[in-house]
Amino acid sequence: MSEIALRLENVQKKIGKKEIIKNVSLTVNEGEVYGFIGPNGAGKTTTIRLIVGLMKLTAGDIKVLGKSIKDDYKEAAKHIGAIVENPELYPFMTGMQNLRHFARMYDDVPEERIEEVIELVGLKKVIHGKVGKYSLGMRQRLGIAQAILHRPKVLILDEPTNGLDPAGMREIRNYIKKLAVEENVAVIISSHLLSEIELICDRIGIIKHGELITEQTVKGDEETVEKTAIKVIFDVEQIDQTIKLLKEKNIDVVKEGDQLITELQRKDIPAIVRHLVEHEISIYGVTGVKATLEDQFLELTGGNIIE
Amino acid sequence: MSNFLKLVYNELFKIYVRKVTWVMYGFLFLIVLGGAFLVHTLDDELSTTYTDNWKEQLQEENDMYLGDISSSSDSEYFSLYYGELVERNNYHIENDIKPLNYGAWSYTLENAGLVSIISLFTIIIGAGIISNEYKWGTIKLLLIRPISRSKILLSKFLSVFIFAFVTMIFLLLSSLLAGAIFFGFEGLNPDIVVLKNDGFQHVPILGEVITDYGYKVVNLIMMTTLAFMISTIFKSSSLAVGVGIFLLMGGNIFVQAFQNYDWVKYILFANIDLKQYVTGNVLIEGMTLGFSVTVLFIYFVIFTMLTWLVFTKRDVAS
Ligand SMILES: Nc1ncnc2c1ncn2[C@@H]1O[C@H](COP(=O)(O)OP(=O)(O)OP(=O)(O)O)[C@@H](O)[C@H]1O
Ligand SMILES: [Mg+2]
Repeated sequence: MSEIALRLENVQKKIGKKEIIKNVSLTVNEGEVYGFIGPNGAGKTTTIRLIVGLMKLTAGDIKVLGKSIKDDYKEAAKHIGAIVENPELYPFMTGMQNLRHFARMYDDVPEERIEEVIELVGLKKVIHGKVGKYSLGMRQRLGIAQAILHRPKVLILDEPTNGLDPAGMREIRNYIKKLAVEENVAVIISSHLLSEIELICDRIGIIKHGELITEQTVKGDEETVEKTAIKVIFDVEQIDQTIKLLKEKNIDVVKEGDQLITELQRKDIPAIVRHLVEHEISIYGVTGVKATLEDQFLELTGGNIIE
Repeated sequence: MSNFLKLVYNELFKIYVRKVTWVMYGFLFLIVLGGAFLVHTLDDELSTTYTDNWKEQLQEENDMYLGDISSSSDSEYFSLYYGELVERNNYHIENDIKPLNYGAWSYTLENAGLVSIISLFTIIIGAGIISNEYKWGTIKLLLIRPISRSKILLSKFLSVFIFAFVTMIFLLLSSLLAGAIFFGFEGLNPDIVVLKNDGFQHVPILGEVITDYGYKVVNLIMMTTLAFMISTIFKSSSLAVGVGIFLLMGGNIFVQAFQNYDWVKYILFANIDLKQYVTGNVLIEGMTLGFSVTVLFIYFVIFTMLTWLVFTKRDVAS
């Protein structure tokens, strides 16, 4: 059983009379990637600001490796690395100067570690260029670099894939996964794009109006994966005949344009494909879409509407 | 390097890596150089070279000054001014001290007024050192480190004054250099005659330079601390610069306008010029050096405490 790296205990934040965070409790284990999801204005960034000590708690406590951010700030902050909202760095300094600047704020970040991190986020070529001339994606990478310089045990990333191209997104995702698995780092990623982080999260928490509505395990064990119905899209030549064949097997089919949409359990797919092939249906494609989380998310958050 | 030194290094790095800072130094250097050039070309009198016959030369000067005083009897100021010059010359003659020829040191001493420009620059740096971090958004990356906010604040505050100190050294050295180029060098540390509270005295010039610059530094420290406070509270450097410069220039006028009220002596600006106790021209009757230093200290403590309270207690919100 892995240790708890981050613990929020009945966290509450009021600004003026407005209660922005209402009694949020959650834990993130070492080596776990936790997705923090909610619509705009839900309170994701505020929660993150509370964790990193930019804002003070109205009530409750936050503990990093058991050290309270209230009573033992230095010890707690040592183990945190973070990007809060946009990765804003000093525009008039080079990437390297920025990294050295933040490295100096820790006891021991040797030069080799800085080089290693630059290599990791793929900024080697531009590291001696002024940050003011970086693209958003490059700044995002530099933001991640400054967050991991000191090998934190808790890494907090507020919308880290914002502004990254697909290749960059995949790289960062792989890297985050690697940090969690190999270095046992607890990673908290916030996003309002569920599909983006669903791929790497072990668990997600959905926040709305400052309340943690639900927490879910994303990749359940083999058994639940097998049993969960997923959306399967068939792309076939003989549409009408296929509908008939599927109906005979008691499968609901919806026709959308040239595609047929069904809900199936994963384990049933091969048999159905075989059945269709036996009846000489020409199949161009069978796509399984795991849309359940996304649907649940929309259901829970009532769409992405800011109220 | 210790943790705190690393923080100060960071702050100084951010000050000196920016072009704005180098523009300030360039500007200051041009003023010093241009000033020397102007003095050199326009003011012949200053460049009188005293020869072995210096006593006669001084006597001639005195005759000229006395003539001026009697001919222009309308201006009290002029007669005071010339009177002082005559007395100074007499002091030289009586004590057999050959007057110093105008040179690099004399020019440097006269440039003490340029400390106001350094005050201006320091106010600008001090007003930006916190509020810029908010403007750039980097405050979020600065305040999530395992370092207390007090330490970060102190490192910034100190760095501003290190900047002022370095700039002061720069002013001294460039004045000496420009002076040496245009007027020649009087020697390593020549003695000059200055008017003190109790009459003329013959003293080493370096001491005079340091005290003259030093008196101006009081204003620099107080205005910068004020600008630092305003910028921390309002997160706006332009407001802080504005107020800082306005008071730097206008503080005296304010005090003079209300000179007849007793409460004026508790105003910061009435106490900021400590040189008034050396020359004896005390602004308000009954004020003493001890009183002024106490008042200044109280203001300083109030400014820094308010800054500290706001900076350490306030949430960094969006
Ligand atoms: N300084 C502040 N004063 C008052 N209310 C604030 C302040 N900062 C944030 N809020 C409010 O707190 C709520 C949560 O904001 P927060 O930035 O945490 O949302 P978020 O989940 O990060 O949204 P997004 O997806 O847009 O980044 C919002 O309703 C916002 O209006
Ligand atoms: Mg946000």
